[in-house]
Amino acid sequence: MPPGTRRTSLAFCALVALSAVANAQSVAKISITPAAPRMVAGQSLQLRAQAVDAAGRPVSNAVIKFQQGGGQFEAVVSDSGLVAAGAVSTIPVTVSAIVPGEKPVITTVNVVVIPGPASTVSIEPRTVKLIAGQSLALRTKVLSAAGDARNDVVAWSTSASAVASVAEGVVTATKAGTATITGVAGSAKGTVTVEVVPADIASISITPGTPHARTGDVLRFNLTVKNSAGKTITGLTPTWLFSPGHGEIDNEGAFVGYDPGTYTVSANLGQRSAQTTVTLAARDVRRAATVVGSIVRTTFPTSEVWVHPNGKVAYLGTHLGGDRVYTIDINDPAKPTIVDSVIVNARVINDVMTSEDGKIMVITREGADDRKNGLVVATLDDPLHPKVVGAFTDGVTAGVHSAFIYTQPKFGRHVYLTNDGTGALHIIDINDPAHPKQVALWKTPRSDAGRMLHDIDVRDGMLYGSWWNDGLVILDIGSGIKGGSPSNPQFVSQYKYDLDALYKDVGAIDGPGFIRGTHTAWRHKNYVFISDEVFSKNDAEKLFAKEPSRAWGRLQVLDVSDIFHPKSIAHYEPEFGGVHNVWVAGDTLYMGAYNAGFRAFDISGELRGDLRAQGREIAQFSPADAKGFIPNSTMTWGVVVKNGLAFVNDFNTGLYIVRIEPKAAVVP
Amino acid sequence: MGGGQWAMGGWRRAVLVVGWLVGARASGQLPAPPRPTRDYSVIVASEGVDRVAVVRFGPGGITVDRERYVGWAPTELAGPHGVAVSPDKKHYFVSLAHGTPYGRLQKYNTQTNALEGSAMLGSFPATAQVSPDGYYVYVVNFNLHGDMVASSVSVVAADAMVEVARIPTCTMPHGSRFSADGTHHYSACMMDDMLVEIDTRKLAVSRYFVLTAGKEMAMTGTPPRRTLDGATQTGGSHDMGGHGMEPPKPGDVSCSPTWAQPSPDGSRVWVACNKSSEIAEIDARDWKMLRRIAAGPGVYNLGVTHDGKKLLGTNKRDQSVSVIDVASGKELARIQTTRKVVHGVAVTDDDRYAFITVEGTGSQPGTVDVIDLIALKKVATIDVGSQSGGIDFWK
Repeated sequence: MPPGTRRTSLAFCALVALSAVANAQSVAKISITPAAPRMVAGQSLQLRAQAVDAAGRPVSNAVIKFQQGGGQFEAVVSDSGLVAAGAVSTIPVTVSAIVPGEKPVITTVNVVVIPGPASTVSIEPRTVKLIAGQSLALRTKVLSAAGDARNDVVAWSTSASAVASVAEGVVTATKAGTATITGVAGSAKGTVTVEVVPADIASISITPGTPHARTGDVLRFNLTVKNSAGKTITGLTPTWLFSPGHGEIDNEGAFVGYDPGTYTVSANLGQRSAQTTVTLAARDVRRAATVVGSIVRTTFPTSEVWVHPNGKVAYLGTHLGGDRVYTIDINDPAKPTIVDSVIVNARVINDVMTSEDGKIMVITREGADDRKNGLVVATLDDPLHPKVVGAFTDGVTAGVHSAFIYTQPKFGRHVYLTNDGTGALHIIDINDPAHPKQVALWKTPRSDAGRMLHDIDVRDGMLYGSWWNDGLVILDIGSGIKGGSPSNPQFVSQYKYDLDALYKDVGAIDGPGFIRGTHTAWRHKNYVFISDEVFSKNDAEKLFAKEPSRAWGRLQVLDVSDIFHPKSIAHYEPEFGGVHNVWVAGDTLYMGAYNAGFRAFDISGELRGDLRAQGREIAQFSPADAKGFIPNSTMTWGVVVKNGLAFVNDFNTGLYIVRIEPKAAVVP
Repeated sequence: MGGGQWAMGGWRRAVLVVGWLVGARASGQLPAPPRPTRDYSVIVASEGVDRVAVVRFGPGGITVDRERYVGWAPTELAGPHGVAVSPDKKHYFVSLAHGTPYGRLQKYNTQTNALEGSAMLGSFPATAQVSPDGYYVYVVNFNLHGDMVASSVSVVAADAMVEVARIPTCTMPHGSRFSADGTHHYSACMMDDMLVEIDTRKLAVSRYFVLTAGKEMAMTGTPPRRTLDGATQTGGSHDMGGHGMEPPKPGDVSCSPTWAQPSPDGSRVWVACNKSSEIAEIDARDWKMLRRIAAGPGVYNLGVTHDGKKLLGTNKRDQSVSVIDVASGKELARIQTTRKVVHGVAVTDDDRYAFITVEGTGSQPGTVDVIDLIALKKVATIDVGSQSGGIDFWK
């Protein structure tokens, strides 16, 4: 080897080694562009990311991955960082820099999705008639073309400032005449015509005058205004107010008070106003609840209860490992007795129901040992001893959570099923119960991933589907309102609401990712009662660990007088629980309220506002037993009412038969 | 945050301690297998009752040390399916298959049982395993009941419990196993009759292998994506009847793979062909089929001893476990399990025992059976929550 060669070789090796060390970069941080991404709903945005080391140099061998961390129902994020947003939301995106053999470096960027440009400005009220000198605050809603609400500051103008001026949405009438008030947001505008009449008011009064009612009663006040000629001025738009106490009054003068006492209700027309008093007595519907009989279950948790139309037999499902429905003789409700059971291939039986004539029963199956779930059909020639005659599994092997049997003279008998795997509605003809066959399948128009149908209610040819993230969906399955039938269900309307916003307090407890969705619906008169199932992330675990915990969830009352535009007008929440399943009989709504037990409350009359604050609760009972599946702990699932008795099924304990006692007579 | 030991009360209580089971042969022909000299613990998920149990087997017998509820709402079924213990033994991960509608991966502390993290994944997340470096958990999104379209493997950062990638693979991926060096991950797609290999350094599918008899094919890259109205390009079975419980129809030559198990030395990958009741052996380097090993009816999950000499297969349609000599491919023993619907297998770190989960049927409890891998006998059994399936060895 020539002189110096060894030194050269060694030096070269050292250089190579040093180079290798210098090239072994570690990711110190990830730079994301744009750093604070914002985009418009309906559009796409490309995120870019670069992994750099502590010196700010790019780490060349780092693999960058983008992954959607939430908002699965509002946007889609590809692994290369392309965000396609469908709805207003905040989409967390996880960005990872992955180097083999090293812990990943992870950061999160929130993509804020904002509404598109203003497309419509709607103004309420739509007709305005004021007297000179009166002011009225207008209500506006600015929406994008996709229907997303915007927070624009509306620019106002008037066509006749001498007649009516406007500032910050408040119209002030000056003199008789007509003015067009225009509200502008971006390139969108809305108008309302304001008619101003002379301030010639001789008398102003509110009717009914000094009414007496109860808390929770809805009173509709009318304003009568006469001018000096004795002529009635019609169509005026007053501002309605009330004080003191709690309640609500809307723009048409519909008032509901929550507390007993005397309220002053006012209609304001600028310098003139009218007042009346309304005296509310306590609603006084409270009654005692007595347990007539019970069956405590220890082997499995208890799921659904159903009572045969003959009122002599009850059926009780099982959960979490349970594979049977018990048949219970309730001829003597004080001594309910298990007589038989139907065993099926399942570990959860969530729903049991009979046909209206009591001849057929259906049982849902989940958790089958061959993972081939579905529906079981049984005949009830002897209601105490059901006989399984048929089954349905085609396409529903993921599991059937809920089923509803409904018979229409024109179409015969069908079962409406939920599909756990796809969130679709399956409609099955069971006119031949031994050979059920599917006649229709209906899905909400979204990707299969993201859809979940939890429960079904059917009344008068209309189906009310509780579609979890998608809210309440109403279908015509035979009423004819949209030409629907069981084999051709037709969409009627949908009521969707922001579940995350409604339950933001729950998310604040244990963080995002809590359970919430539209769970149950029940149609009654011109209302649909819907309730949500809500648990914080740790509530369920604490329940089974017998630590203090609770469910959450609100019951909303939707006014479906206009079935195509349901609107929420009242609500109920127990003070420490949620709302699971409901049942309406007469003017009473019964519910299973999880850890809040069994509740019943008065739904007579028109419904508005906070039903609990109005004192509408009739009775409450907390099932619990030392021998229950979970001892001394209430978790009430639901209730079925028959022959004046409430059959209350409690997940932890079993079946309770409850009588709500008549009001005690006052003994002088 | 809750955690620690707690007891349920109610439906399942009795701890069945079965001593040593003596074979059917006349006494005196063979000595009873020696008792264990140390404790072994496994973690088991019971899908039907939303529970996870720690089962311990040792000199004192077999017992359920503790149980834990892992559901998300008492009135809904979360369905814990897969279990994976971290290499440092400090955490275990449980996949919850049923959600609203997506499933989740939960992270628990092995000592305190406390829930320490949760990540939402895809549809029906099932088998899971932690990478050898402990940084990631790979979970297959099995999508058992959804439309038969291509699914994925979720990659979750184990520390932060966030999903960092979702790698598209094929239809109904099941099984989730890393090569010993962690550079590759293997799963099998039941509906597409494929073995899929992911290069973990690139987070992408590197190769796939079509397993249908007569149509074997080694391919690079990601498999073609099955769509709802498109046919597959293989002979993959379309019949998902009973999820491995129903035998193949006449003429069905599909494999319907349910597990992919790499050999400890990285040279091979074994695939459980549930329909054809055989184990396909693939050369991991050359990516070619080496042999098809006859297995028990409905072979479902696989395990392998750390010395690479014995392969175990749970036989879902047979109520048995097969122990196979790797070298010869011969079945050394077929051991009957306590109940039907055999599911998972976990081999102890010293290759002495294998723990087998059995789902049971109807309202039967699930069961954990212990197999002595030297005596090739069942030596203990205990009941756990129903539909016990996912299992991993802890310590």
